[in-house]
Amino acid sequence: MKTCIACGMPMKKESDFAMGDTSKEYCIYCAKEDGSMQSFEEKKQSLLNFTIKTQGLDKAIAEKAVENMMRQLPAWKGFF
Amino acid sequence: MKTKRQIQKEATRKLILDTAYRVYAEEGFSATTNQIAKAANVSHGTIFVHFPTVENLLICLLERFGSEINKHLHLLSEKDESLETFLAAHIDVLIRYEDFYKKLISDINSLPQDAKFVFINIQSVVSLHLSQVIEREKEKKEIKEIPMHIIFNSWLGLIHYYLTNSYLFSAESVLTEHKDELILNYIKLLENERN
Repeated sequence: MKTCIACGMPMKKESDFAMGDTSKEYCIYCAKEDGSMQSFEEKKQSLLNFTIKTQGLDKAIAEKAVENMMRQLPAWKGFF
Repeated sequence: MKTKRQIQKEATRKLILDTAYRVYAEEGFSATTNQIAKAANVSHGTIFVHFPTVENLLICLLERFGSEINKHLHLLSEKDESLETFLAAHIDVLIRYEDFYKKLISDINSLPQDAKFVFINIQSVVSLHLSQVIEREKEKKEIKEIPMHIIFNSWLGLIHYYLTNSYLFSAESVLTEHKDELILNYIKLLENERN
């Protein structure tokens, strides 16, 4: 099973992939409206907002956790 | 094509991770690498050939654990799943790893900072699925207006309380025994009264 290179989500169903295109390496949540992949800053901001909204984390902690997660992902290797 | 040496190396790495998982699940995270080496029947030095530091071993183990949880939750969750189905899927995944998870949540405060970050990311997968389910339920106006992080933290708080104090509630698997009761009543707390 493929996993999204930008957030690590497993992609099993067609609807998991960006634009429903199973040849894509990134998921529906990491795609912009035009189907291209979000930039590093866009993804970081959206993960940060999501983590604070759903888990109530302190902003500084959330930022470190998000960076720590992004560091492991193939799409962002060049940013660390 | 992998060489015999590479295959052997990967097998030893997996053996060390599998054994560390078992030892931590039984002894907690204060267990030493000596205990892990003994249980895996490898020399103490072999562990450090594969993992430069104890912290690195711990992080690799937690990342593997996280990706297993991630995979299981994703496979179990369907687009139209109900809140009840999702909560049951979450508990079912935790039941598979109950002893390890119990020790993890009890010891998390004493683990290195990087391990805590991996733990946060494990919970992010759960909070993603839960927030999607809650959004759908809210469209049906069945859920009270409570901030998402309180909904998520209340659920984690509830199951973590039962796990860390399992001696109060069960002699066996506390999640197996109390699964239905916890899910049913947690949903009642969130739902608006129907007229």
